[in-house]
Amino acid sequence: MNNECCSALLESYQARLIPLNDGLTAAAFPLMKIFPASFCVKQAREEGLVNNDSLVVETSSGTMALGLAIVCRWHAHKLTIVTDYACDDRLRRRLEYLGARVEIVPGPAATGGYQRARLDRLNAIRNENENHWWLNQYDNPGNPGAYGSFAAHLVETLGQIDCVVGTVGSGGSLCGTGSYLRMLYPDLKLIAVDTFGSVLFGHPDQPRKLRGLGNSIHPRNLDHTVIDEVHWVTAAEAYAATRELYAKTTLFCGGTSGACWLVARHWAARYPHRRVVAIFPDDGYRYLDSVYDDQYLLDNQLWIPELPTEPREVSDPREAEGNWSFMHWDRRAYDQVVNAKGMVHTA
Amino acid sequence: MQTVTKFSATTRTEFWTALAEPEPQPAPRIGVGESTAHHGELFQGQIEDQENRKRRCLVTLPCPCLRSKAVFHPQRGGQIQVHPGHKQKARRVVELALATLQKQDLGGVLVIESNIAEGKGYGSSTADCVAAVHAVADALGVFVREQRVAQLVVEAEVASDNIMFRSAVLFAQREGVVLENYATPLPPLEVLGVDCDADGFVDTLRYAPAAYSWREIQQFQTLVGGLRRAIRTNDAQLLGCVATASAEINERYLPKRFFRELKQLANAVGALGVSAAHSGTLMSFLLHPRDPQLRHKIHCLREGLCRIGISECFHFQSWNTQMEVDL
Repeated sequence: MNNECCSALLESYQARLIPLNDGLTAAAFPLMKIFPASFCVKQAREEGLVNNDSLVVETSSGTMALGLAIVCRWHAHKLTIVTDYACDDRLRRRLEYLGARVEIVPGPAATGGYQRARLDRLNAIRNENENHWWLNQYDNPGNPGAYGSFAAHLVETLGQIDCVVGTVGSGGSLCGTGSYLRMLYPDLKLIAVDTFGSVLFGHPDQPRKLRGLGNSIHPRNLDHTVIDEVHWVTAAEAYAATRELYAKTTLFCGGTSGACWLVARHWAARYPHRRVVAIFPDDGYRYLDSVYDDQYLLDNQLWIPELPTEPREVSDPREAEGNWSFMHWDRRAYDQVVNAKGMVHTA
Repeated sequence: MQTVTKFSATTRTEFWTALAEPEPQPAPRIGVGESTAHHGELFQGQIEDQENRKRRCLVTLPCPCLRSKAVFHPQRGGQIQVHPGHKQKARRVVELALATLQKQDLGGVLVIESNIAEGKGYGSSTADCVAAVHAVADALGVFVREQRVAQLVVEAEVASDNIMFRSAVLFAQREGVVLENYATPLPPLEVLGVDCDADGFVDTLRYAPAAYSWREIQQFQTLVGGLRRAIRTNDAQLLGCVATASAEINERYLPKRFFRELKQLANAVGALGVSAAHSGTLMSFLLHPRDPQLRHKIHCLREGLCRIGISECFHFQSWNTQMEVDL
């Protein structure tokens, strides 16, 4: 496909900006990850890291896989995705229709969970294929770097922005968007949404029910020193919020968007008269049989009758347990909050 | 029955010859043209277009109280002469303009009178060239569109600013092409200009264009989003933020003496921001014309400048052709 066509297709994935209430604006992407996928592939092509015979590889549990599969189709690149059980049958079929090869790892690694198991398999594939290029969304600076056009879209449409709330997996969207916006609005607050059992902000690694955010390893693309506040949300809370988001606003989004909305709505109410942007990374179709299915929620002990209205404030990541919690991170480095032994400094 | 009229070969030729006969045009007379200067750029950078082409572009800060006036005395045949003699870019643009207007047989004398300093970032040569094109057009009694003026000027001097356009534009200064036409003027700005290096000057053509990184190109993309909004909503404050961020990025390529100090001073005083000349030694403080504390802020800025040894500054308004009397 020619550049013009690819640009137009990419542009069609730009976030819709919807003012909700209390100064809160939803930035709802149909598939956010197509932006870093497209940007990193373009860079790799320009730098000659990818040629027409190269095998593109990446590990992803969902939306990065789909974004990259679409981009690889634009440029006719071969693609292998390493994923895990979170890649349901429908997503796998969509990827395969786009010409991708999908490898599902059978189970988590002893340490490092599914991410480690996926990375191990990915490295084996890289060893088998000399002419390959690994996008590496966790460490590739092109991932956060890709959000310049999104930041432009926000500034052009909204003007002054005081706060951006986003879920964190690789750190790309929140840190990238934040760094571009802070050129114009240095006082902008960045609020990270994570989940319990994710190592990103100092929890010990544990199996997690909420997918699409959090991590079992530390991505280089997460710059802790730009983050003002961290929230930990459970899967049940995120899913209930996703359902409420749909019922109240008719925005049909994925489970991470619910987690983001829960936090953003609270932040906007806590700090009135501020312009808050909540980043919703994908739409809801993929989750019709999970987040949007009562029986699924009941069967998986993910049903809660009512959403909490407020998080519990903690001063140390390990106090965050059980239910929605938050702490003021205050743009500190990870080691300033959590030292090398995994012990937590008192603030 | 339909009658078919056929032109004979002779009639046809005569017919077309008659059409091709040039319209009687007024005999060339003395033509005058004028252009204003600018005071560095509010934005200068590089963005990527729909076809992934990287385009260098800028938005200048108008400085209408400084101007270049050109008078063109046409003569049949012969060379183009220019006074003062070193304004060779202006001479070149007259040749190009005459060629475009199919008047290569004309020569003449171009006299330029300008109060714009050279090599500082006021765009003196662009102003001379724009004035010269207008003078030629005036001499021939024709109208030249802004876009055409821009192309001629860029052809004559390799890179130019966008002072020939009345509305705000994002201008590709090395292509002579408007990338975005905002179809409205810039938000008005009160400006305190300073020369960071009174003894220095920059020759636009003698330094290589900045090799911006991919990250900087993305940053510029974001700033263009800010520009669009600032101009559309007449938001001088946002424009000030964009200018400061743009100057900050370009500081890597053409550093300004006292950049840090001036930026800090702007912050401390509560100016909208700073802007820089990207091929020159000028910088400016941007202020809101309706800021109730305008006098006080300008006073504080002057004091702050004195403390770092800059005693001269230049107060003007981005929309006003009058030289501003100091507040």
